[in-house]
Amino acid sequence: MPLRIPELARRLVVALPIIAGFAAPLSAQPADTRPVITIAVQQIVTSGALEPLREQSNVGARIFDSIFENLIEVDKTGDLSLKPGLAESYRRIDPQTIEFTLRRGVKFHDGREMTAEDVVFTFGRERMWGTGEANPQTSGQPTATLFAQGAQGATSVPREAVAIAGRLLPAFGSMEAVGPYTVRYTNRVADLTLEGRLTRNGTEIISRAGFQAAENWGAWARRPVGTGPYRVKEFRPDNILVLEAHDDYWGGRPPIRELRFVVVPEIATRVNGLLSGQFDFITDVPPDQFRAIERSARHDVIGGAILNHRLLVFDKNHPRLQDPRIRRALTHAIDRNLIVEALFQGKTSVPAGLQWEYYGPMFHSDWTVPAFDPALARRLLQEAGYRGEVIPYRVASGYYTNQVPTAQALQQMWQAVGLNVQLQMVENWQQIFDRSNPQNPRAIRDWSNSAPFNDPVSSIVNQHCERGQQQQAGEWTNADFNGLCTVLETSTNADERRSTFRRMMEIIEREDPGYTVLHRSVLFFGKRKDIEWKPSPTQAMDFRASNFRIVPATR
Amino acid sequence: MLGYIASRAFRALVTILLVLTFAFFILNATGDPAILILSADAPPEAIAAFREEWGLNAPLWKQYLGYLWNLAHGELGRSMRDGRDAWAVVSERIPVTLAITIPALIIKLVIGISAGIIAALWRDTWIDRLVMAFSVTGYTVPSFVLGLGLMLVFAVQLGWLPAAGADSWRHAILPIVTLGVAGAAVLARFTRSAMLEVLGQPFIRTGLAKGLVWRAVVIGHAFPNAAIPTLTIAGFMIGSLVAGAVVVESVFAWPGVGRLLVSAVGNRDLMVVQAILLLVTVTMVSANLIVDIVYGFVDPRLRTARGGLARGGT
Repeated sequence: MPLRIPELARRLVVALPIIAGFAAPLSAQPADTRPVITIAVQQIVTSGALEPLREQSNVGARIFDSIFENLIEVDKTGDLSLKPGLAESYRRIDPQTIEFTLRRGVKFHDGREMTAEDVVFTFGRERMWGTGEANPQTSGQPTATLFAQGAQGATSVPREAVAIAGRLLPAFGSMEAVGPYTVRYTNRVADLTLEGRLTRNGTEIISRAGFQAAENWGAWARRPVGTGPYRVKEFRPDNILVLEAHDDYWGGRPPIRELRFVVVPEIATRVNGLLSGQFDFITDVPPDQFRAIERSARHDVIGGAILNHRLLVFDKNHPRLQDPRIRRALTHAIDRNLIVEALFQGKTSVPAGLQWEYYGPMFHSDWTVPAFDPALARRLLQEAGYRGEVIPYRVASGYYTNQVPTAQALQQMWQAVGLNVQLQMVENWQQIFDRSNPQNPRAIRDWSNSAPFNDPVSSIVNQHCERGQQQQAGEWTNADFNGLCTVLETSTNADERRSTFRRMMEIIEREDPGYTVLHRSVLFFGKRKDIEWKPSPTQAMDFRASNFRIVPATR
Repeated sequence: MLGYIASRAFRALVTILLVLTFAFFILNATGDPAILILSADAPPEAIAAFREEWGLNAPLWKQYLGYLWNLAHGELGRSMRDGRDAWAVVSERIPVTLAITIPALIIKLVIGISAGIIAALWRDTWIDRLVMAFSVTGYTVPSFVLGLGLMLVFAVQLGWLPAAGADSWRHAILPIVTLGVAGAAVLARFTRSAMLEVLGQPFIRTGLAKGLVWRAVVIGHAFPNAAIPTLTIAGFMIGSLVAGAVVVESVFAWPGVGRLLVSAVGNRDLMVVQAILLLVTVTMVSANLIVDIVYGFVDPRLRTARGGLARGGT
């Protein structure tokens, strides 16, 4: 678009009085006494879109719960078990098929009632699989074109959204209406994890009419229409997201008139804004700010471990890391409990490897991360003939809580057993993955893994099998492990899946380490003390009436 | 005169092209927009699809030529984050930034120049020392420290002003003061130095010897002569109106061009970064050009030396 100075001048004229405060504040409904709640966040979404099929980041996950809902929900502030969501009930027809009976009377933000048609549309080509090309998941179905143009994500479903859909539901067959309030989901192969997959961000039910009424995909992604307790009122990426109460919400009247997510990148500013009373909640509070908040009688810090573990990832192509004994030495030299106590004030813990309790029967409670055993680490190094060669460790400062102090502590722990690990500070992920300089090969990097649904497929398969980031990045592979990936994904025998998962952890965490788990990731919020609200390990922020109440402050 | 302007305009174009080229290659070489926008948690096939969709797999020179071609046709490209026109994304932030930088510029000019003149006229008195103490403090304290300090006092302790955001005029006060104080400190120091230098010149003594009153000497002879270096600094400040508040906007969560630049660079939203750089370089070059022209009006010697239009010292 050419530069349009008159347009700029017009905007300036329009914007200045608003910014200068001359515009009268919007008058609230006199009868509506519900509060306006302001949440200062580090970022609203990373991709600029409020469409979960594009926005897969952790920060996006915390807002989507207010806008969208799934057929099956996770009890996010409870025991993380699955429960009916927009489907009042569901049942397995066979290992490939689930039938859902939809809740009646569910209203979208545009006032229309949710029916089977919307659910079918949600999983259809126009919204999920793209319309411009043949879709391997749904080949044979007629193609439809929603948007006239197809230029660079602006007017068509972006290819990355289609790719994400393919990852969420890799064997999607069909979603068909059986009746006005009954739908049937069919997978192309048997899959015991289907229910869990349908709780993931990206499988939320959207309004067909709302989607089709949007000018283009970008416009839809900035103002999507779901069934959640709050609807999008205003969205300016990197700046503010205003959600207003959806009073026809099927789950009861939302307790907040307006939810304002304000981007405040600096933690010091977020804390000051909380203490001054400007913000009601702040997110991403690091442990070194706890005292500043807890000194205030009107505020407290809540939060804790989330469904995400901090890892170190090894690149076994590095000349010294080709020998698994050196990687094993790296894992045994780490005093994880010391990191938890010293850097996280004991507010987190060391998990049982890359797994979570909410895996239920798939969880191996007796599994542990490699023991802190400096003597064993030294012995392994001696056996491997390690002579103090430099092992680089690339660190992107500030991506994870306490990232640099943790890296420095690790470096010292490794040094104590004779490992010469060199910290390399980089700016971003591309520089972490960079392989362009053969003189500086990759060796160790930071990462974290989530468990987006209640099965190890969501973590160990998703991230570490052949289609996972680690193998796609060429850091690590193991033929035995890869064979087990297929078993874990496709077997319908629960016992076989359980033993397969354990064997996979044995390989990748102990025998031929591809990663090592450090600790559970943590997420802390600062908030007004008079607000009763519970955070969720899923990182979703639930502002339904069942999880939000203002009570008189107690001293 | 036309030749002079044409020459300056050509140099300006070369400068702009160099800046855009440098930024294009550096940004491309140091970050992959696909990973940074979709996040490292996105599946590899989504990242690959994003690269393909935006033509990021093409050789860099080809991308660069495509960018130049579009630029020559007035197309600044699209934001890879939300698909919107890059100029639309940038232009909606300009008024927001100007809402703090223009008042801050007025503070800088009014307070900075006044303080500098007062310090010079009362040289080596307690007034001079007081002004310079404030000036040195304002000059040396980083704006993020000053901003957080002001926030702590006026938002947290006194509760008079909001800490961050841009919802009303009250939100603008602390960012304006933070920007204004630092700039005023710089201007005060330059103005004082320029005034002292001029006040020591023989023509000032001559004026006084001829019987002119002190006020007339200062206003009629000292001020115009001291204005040149002050104008140079003021020109830089005008040039940085659009994107000179990066740190302050970040500290106060003020959603202007500076914050957009930080996030666009962080995400490697290349067309948005390029649009901002184009805007900044055009603004800066234009400000310098205007200052050059103003030099001629302020200083007749420069005007006559250039045959009617003077070239300044920038």
